[in-house]
Amino acid sequence: MLLLSLALKNILRSRFRTWVTILAMAFAGAIMIFYASLLEGWMQAMETNAVSMEMGEVQLHVPGYRDDPELYDVILDPGAALARAESAGFAGSARLLGSGLAAAQENSTGVAIRGIEPEAEARVVRLHRHVKAGSWLVPGERNGVVLGQQLAVILDVGPGDELVLVGQAADGSMANDLFVVQGILKSVGQGIDRAGLFMPADDFRAFFALAEGAHEIVLQRFDPDLPLDDAVNVLAGLFPGLEVKSWRQLQPTLARLLDLSDVSLAIMLLITYAAVGMLTMNAMLMGVFERIPVFGVMKAIGFSGVRLFGLVVCETLLQITLAALLALGAGLPLSAYFARRPLDFSFLLRESSTIAGVAFEPQWYCRVTPGSVLLPIFFLYAVGLVSICYPALKAALLSPVRAVHHQ
Amino acid sequence: MSEEQIVRLAGVSRVYRQGNVEVRAVDRLDLDIRAGEFSALSGPSGSGKTTILNMIGALDAPSEGAVYLEGRNLAELSRGELSRFRRDRVGFVFQSYNLIPVLTAYENAEFVLALQNVPAMERKTRVMAVLREVGMAAYANRRPDELSGGQQQRVAIARAVVSEPAIVLADEPTANVDSEAAATILDLMEQLNREKGVTFLFSTHDQRVMDRARRLIRLRDGRLEADEGGG
Ligand SMILES: Nc1ncnc2c1ncn2[C@@H]1O[C@H](COP(=O)(O)OP(=O)(O)OP(=O)(O)O)[C@@H](O)[C@H]1O
Ligand SMILES: [Mg+2]
Repeated sequence: MLLLSLALKNILRSRFRTWVTILAMAFAGAIMIFYASLLEGWMQAMETNAVSMEMGEVQLHVPGYRDDPELYDVILDPGAALARAESAGFAGSARLLGSGLAAAQENSTGVAIRGIEPEAEARVVRLHRHVKAGSWLVPGERNGVVLGQQLAVILDVGPGDELVLVGQAADGSMANDLFVVQGILKSVGQGIDRAGLFMPADDFRAFFALAEGAHEIVLQRFDPDLPLDDAVNVLAGLFPGLEVKSWRQLQPTLARLLDLSDVSLAIMLLITYAAVGMLTMNAMLMGVFERIPVFGVMKAIGFSGVRLFGLVVCETLLQITLAALLALGAGLPLSAYFARRPLDFSFLLRESSTIAGVAFEPQWYCRVTPGSVLLPIFFLYAVGLVSICYPALKAALLSPVRAVHHQ
Repeated sequence: MSEEQIVRLAGVSRVYRQGNVEVRAVDRLDLDIRAGEFSALSGPSGSGKTTILNMIGALDAPSEGAVYLEGRNLAELSRGELSRFRRDRVGFVFQSYNLIPVLTAYENAEFVLALQNVPAMERKTRVMAVLREVGMAAYANRRPDELSGGQQQRVAIARAVVSEPAIVLADEPTANVDSEAAATILDLMEQLNREKGVTFLFSTHDQRVMDRARRLIRLRDGRLEADEGGG
C-alpha cells in the first residue's frame, strides 16, 4: 500500500520525462496493435483469396490426377458424390478441367479451361463477385466465357469480343469452337489471372466430347468451426476411392506463410520494442540515477533495499499500465476504423499483386483479434519489466552513505 | 537530565583505501553520547565528522573497534536489522536533499511513521503536532521545491524527531542556509532538546553554531582534539 501510493505519487507528481517515457511506450503499443491488426487482416485476406477464389476448402480428385491430369481421369457420377457430401455437411461444386489454345485476332495463348455449374460454384468460391468487366457466367446461357485478367490483356479482348478455342477432345479428335467473352475477372491469383478461362459445364462437355464425370470436386464446410483436418478425415471416410486434400495440403507453402504470420508479428514486436526498450531503459536509468540522493535518504531513514526495488518495479508497472491503457485507447479505435474502411495502397500497386501465387488486394483491412491486441500489450510489459531490472537492482543495492553524498 | 548512555564508540577507526593510499578518516576514537545531550562535532574539513555520524547512524561500519547504540553492538546486526534500527532509533538530518521531492511536507514527516506501520489516525496527530513545533504546520501541503532551504531543513527536523528516536544525527544542518535560517534551525533544535529531551549530535564548522552547543567535540585528523562542556 505504502509502495503503491509512493509509486503513484512518484509518477503523478513526476517530471516531464516520465510522461515522455509513458507516451513513447503508449505510442509504440498503439502502433503495434495497429500493425498486428493489419497483419491479421492481411493474412486473413490472403487466406480468403486463396481459399474462396480458387481452391475451396477441400478438394476431391481421382488418385494420381493432380500429378498427371488426363481428360478421362474423371470422378464418376459427381452428382451422387455431391449429394453424399451435402448430407455429411459440405456444400460442393464439380469442376471439369482441360487445356487448350485460345486465339483472338493475331494473339494466341495456352489456357486452362474450367467447366463449371455457375450456381454450384458460387456456393464454394466467390469468383462471381470478382468480375472486373462484363458479367459472370449466367446459368443456362451458352457459349459465353469468362477470362482471367492477364489473359484478357494477352489476347487483347474485352466483353463481347469473340475468341476461338482449340483443343484435343477426349476421343482424340480436334476440338475447336467460337466463344464470346462474357466477363473479365479481377486479379485473384497468378494461375487464373494468366490462363484461367471459365465456361459452363455443358459447353465444356460439348467442346471436349466428355459425356460424364468431373475432374475435381470442391467442398466447403457448412460448419466453419469444424477443424479442417477433421473435415478431411470425414470426407476420406466417405470417399475411400478418391484423394481428399484440404487447401492447406494442396498449398503447403501458403499455409506455412500464413502460419508464420504469428512469428513475423512476434519478430516485429521484438524489434520495435527493443528500440522502445532501450529508450525506456535509458529513461528509467536516468530516473533512478537522478534520484540517487533521495533514494539514499530513504534508505538511511529505514526504507529497505528490497522495498526500494519493489518501489521502482511498482513505478514501472504503473507506467506500463498507463501506457498500455493509452495504447489501447489509441490503437483499438484506429484498428477498428481501418477494419471498416481499408487502407488504400492502390496508388502504389494499381492492381492486386500476388505472393506465393495468391493475390492480395491493394486495399488492406485491419482485423482486430485477441492476439493482435494482447500480444503487443504483453510485449510492452515484458520489455518494460526486463529493462527496469537493472536500474531497480542498482537502486536496491545503493549504499546510503555514497548516495547521500552523491551530490 | 538522564545520564543514560546512548552512543559509545570504542577504539573506532575508519580506514579508506584508494589504490595504495590509505586514509584514516577516523583514528582509534573513544566517544560517549548520553541521553539529552546537545552536542556538536567540529573540526576542519576532512577531520572525520561525517564519517563518525555515518557510523553512529549505522550507515557505515568501522574498520576497527565497535559502535554501540543503546548498548547494542551495530556490527552484530544484519542488514535488515540495521535498516529497522535506523528507522526506529535514529533520526537523520542531512545537509541537503533531505526530503522526498514528490511528497509534501506533511507526507515527508509522515514517511517514517508509515514505514513503522503506525495507524493513520495516530500518524496524523503526531505529524501535525511536530509540524507545529517546527513552525511548518501552515506549509504542510507544500512540496519541498515550494519551500525555502531553511524551511526544508525544519521539515527534515520534524521528520527526524517525529518517530521519537534515541538520537538525532544532523550533518551540517545549517551549511546550506543563510545565517538567519541557521539561527532559527538551531533555536528549534535547542527547543526540542530542552522541552522534549531529544538527543542531538550535529556536525559543523560554523563558529556561531559551535557556540550554541552545550558540548563541543573538536576533531582533527580523525582524532579527538578537545571535548568541552560535556558531562
Ligand atoms: N568514500 C570515501 N572514500 C575515500 N575517502 C573518504 C571517503 N569518505 C571520506 N573520505 C576521507 O575521509 C576523511 C574524512 O572525511 P569526512 O567526510 O568524514 O570529513 P568531514 O569532517 O565531514 O569533512 P567536511 O567538513 O568537508 O564535511 C577525509 O580525508 C575524506 O577525504
Ligand atoms: Mg562532512
